[in-house]
Amino acid sequence: MTLSRREFLRLAGLIAGGATVSACSPIYRQLSSAPGPVAGWPPISTWDFQVLSRLSYGPTEQDRSDITGLGWKSWVELQLDPESIDDQAVNWRLRSLDSLRSDPDTLADWDKEVLIAELQQAALLRRVYSRRQLYERMVEFWSDHFNISVWKGDCWFLKAIDDREVIRQHALGDFRELLWASAHSPAMLVYLDNQANESAAPNENYARELMELHTLGVDGGYSQSDVMELARCLTGWTVKRHFWQGQFTFNPDLHDQEPKQVLGRRVEPAGQQEAESILDELAFHPSTARHVATKLIRRFVSEAPSEQLVEDTAQTFLATNGSIRAVLEKLLLDAPTEWSAKVKRPNDFIAGGLRTLGADTDGSRPVQEYLGQMGQPAFGWPTPDGAPDRSDYWINNLLPRWRFALDLAQNQIGGTTLDLKRIATAAGGEPFNRVSELLLGTRLDPELSTGLLEAIGSVGEQTQLQLSLAGLLASPGFQWH
Amino acid sequence: MKRSEFMHVLRESCCEPAAGDRAHRIWPAWMPRLAFSEAQRGDTLVVIFLRGAADALNIIVPHGEAAYYSQRPTLAIARPDDPRAKAADRVMDLDGFFGFHPALRPLLPAWQQGQLAPIHACGAPDESRSHFKAMELMERGVEDPAGPASGWINRHLASLDTGNPSPLRAVGLGEAAQRSLQGAIPVTALRSISEFHLAGDRRIEQLMQAGLSALYRSEDPLGLLGQETLRILDTLERLHPESYRPRQAAVYPNTEFGLGLLQIAMLVKAEVGLEVAAVDLGGWDTHFAQGANEGYMAELLGDLGQGLAALHADLADFHSRLTVVVMTEFGRRVQENASLGTDHGHGSLMLLLGGNVVGNKVHGRWPGLDREQLFGPGDLAVTTDYRDVLSEVCGLRLNNPSLSQIFPNYRPQRFGFLRGG
Repeated sequence: MTLSRREFLRLAGLIAGGATVSACSPIYRQLSSAPGPVAGWPPISTWDFQVLSRLSYGPTEQDRSDITGLGWKSWVELQLDPESIDDQAVNWRLRSLDSLRSDPDTLADWDKEVLIAELQQAALLRRVYSRRQLYERMVEFWSDHFNISVWKGDCWFLKAIDDREVIRQHALGDFRELLWASAHSPAMLVYLDNQANESAAPNENYARELMELHTLGVDGGYSQSDVMELARCLTGWTVKRHFWQGQFTFNPDLHDQEPKQVLGRRVEPAGQQEAESILDELAFHPSTARHVATKLIRRFVSEAPSEQLVEDTAQTFLATNGSIRAVLEKLLLDAPTEWSAKVKRPNDFIAGGLRTLGADTDGSRPVQEYLGQMGQPAFGWPTPDGAPDRSDYWINNLLPRWRFALDLAQNQIGGTTLDLKRIATAAGGEPFNRVSELLLGTRLDPELSTGLLEAIGSVGEQTQLQLSLAGLLASPGFQWH
Repeated sequence: MKRSEFMHVLRESCCEPAAGDRAHRIWPAWMPRLAFSEAQRGDTLVVIFLRGAADALNIIVPHGEAAYYSQRPTLAIARPDDPRAKAADRVMDLDGFFGFHPALRPLLPAWQQGQLAPIHACGAPDESRSHFKAMELMERGVEDPAGPASGWINRHLASLDTGNPSPLRAVGLGEAAQRSLQGAIPVTALRSISEFHLAGDRRIEQLMQAGLSALYRSEDPLGLLGQETLRILDTLERLHPESYRPRQAAVYPNTEFGLGLLQIAMLVKAEVGLEVAAVDLGGWDTHFAQGANEGYMAELLGDLGQGLAALHADLADFHSRLTVVVMTEFGRRVQENASLGTDHGHGSLMLLLGGNVVGNKVHGRWPGLDREQLFGPGDLAVTTDYRDVLSEVCGLRLNNPSLSQIFPNYRPQRFGFLRGG
């Protein structure tokens, strides 16, 4: 359901006039457009379905109409310009999460558990309800690339700032700006111990991951000596304490004042600017272009791409000075022949199930628990490589997916509700095949559907719908995108 | 794209060994006929991976080295006879040169019974000092990134037909199967045995399982994994994990690691066909606040020591058929950094525990810690390749003669860490 701005304001006005607004008020639900399959879901081509499955968290009814109406290329172009997409509905969903609007300086005063919970909730709500789907996918991509676990030191509140000011700010912007912001992000400096990097005995942790994971890649042409020298350049990059805690600062007293030698270049003493000049060099380095290109291709196109595609994508990266939008545009519009199947990661599976079925969720702890059981707790990946993006990593853990499928279909997840009546109504006289088209983009193979329906046997109409939904969510087909 | 094409790509990209591993090309990689040998199954193998590069020098401490103390003014563990330190803070001497970190006290009984063998200065040839590259190569058991894509444990399973039809032949504790377990043979990740079931109304649960059996039928990797998961559901249902009681002497730490080991012991005792289990203990990347007797590392060592000791005590009746391996991707710099921590190094150690290890001895040629004896920027050198240790495990304890399948292009040296038979 789309609301014009005027309609939105009118409804918002109505609500503001009411004494209380509870999360279950019907007006709220209408406004926030639980995008439930009310009037049935339009048919969609196989290719469009795959585009939506890969570039969004799962096709809603609206997405199906949009992509069919616009054509898939225009849909991608539109998604690459997220500011042009009205997203009031998700903002409404997020309104109860006060930490999102709190001044960064005050976040340290929050209760740790509450703040982390809100950050996790916000991420899931945006995946399920935002219309800026490709943007949210890129937010997830960079959250992996510049991974920070909220469970390390002060990262529980610093990551909330990093999420706003680094990742979400630059997710479709320029890589150099993103890298620069990340390097100056207190969350990153704490997470990778650079706040303790001092001239007397440097701490190499951040310097190494900056080259290995964030830019050049492990085989990108740096040496152990480059790591140690870059660590020296980064001495004194730290985080303010006490009243100003959580802000970046450069402490010249902790900085190594001698010249350094990084990547074959002599770096003259220049304080904070030493590492900043290397950040610029790293941001535009051909190895960085290849590394980032390979990861984008892996996420959106193929886990076994052609050398040509990697090369072309890296070249686009270099030619556009690391414009993330331009690289994605070229990659997504030019490479359809290389698309190959991927196993959904837990985020894709859970957000996808909720989004496609139009579930009403608050994204709170009960549903987050499933992400943990599947091994992808939000902002909880411990190591700086970020959650893996490999099908063979995620394939071995089917049971929690099956459990989620069954629990969701039976409305057994706290804070999350499926409107089974609406789904049944929309599915009409052929519920199984219609739900199959909704979730898989096509009818289930007749042999499998007969097998499933026979196994379910003769049960009540509602139970049959629930088990069909659960079976389809748990089926091999829904594990792919 | 058609489903069959999807599947083809998946097999090509993730379930098939990389080019160069020609022998595997003949059969679809997951078919049991891939097996090269048939043999009685050997020991149950438990592989514990310390993720993050554990600091070997503060686990089995070389208290006989002057350089250890000069390089680590704040992180060193006091000599066994250091009168300035409290007795409980000193190294527990093993052989006059090496000793346990005090947090490993629970392992003393196993050491005294001759069932614990540390191999010091052990590691891999990789010099990247990258956790992720080092773990990737080590868990695949390869030196060349273009080598087989599968894990070394999976290739062990694939190259030895033990006639064991159990779906629990190999289990990865945790949310995903460890890299070493991934490959052609389907392997299941098990987070918690007592939670390994569908929830809710019993009848609905049964209908759902019947439905899943109908859906997971195909012979592709996902189909086989689904079938295996259903068989595990069946098997575990009969185990009643909630009523499991360890032997009295076995006190598992109340941690994820402790719980993982307890579940392994339960599977071993239930004799459900477990051949290999992999479990991780993370958090060893101690750049910051590693500490000596207090701090991150002492806590982790407490977890490790207590966990291993509990597993050893709990499986007292199974020692002759049990081998536990503890490994890590590399070691840490000898010299401490400014933040009470250590940076990435090279050589580390491995531990072997079980009834057939040649114990009561610290194995491995000690390369020394003097400046000219160190490797690269100041790291412990590697004098024993980790594959030498694992080859003895596979050859002597798992009855697998196909070592060249497991560790391609490597000729292992025999040191005698373990006894055969």
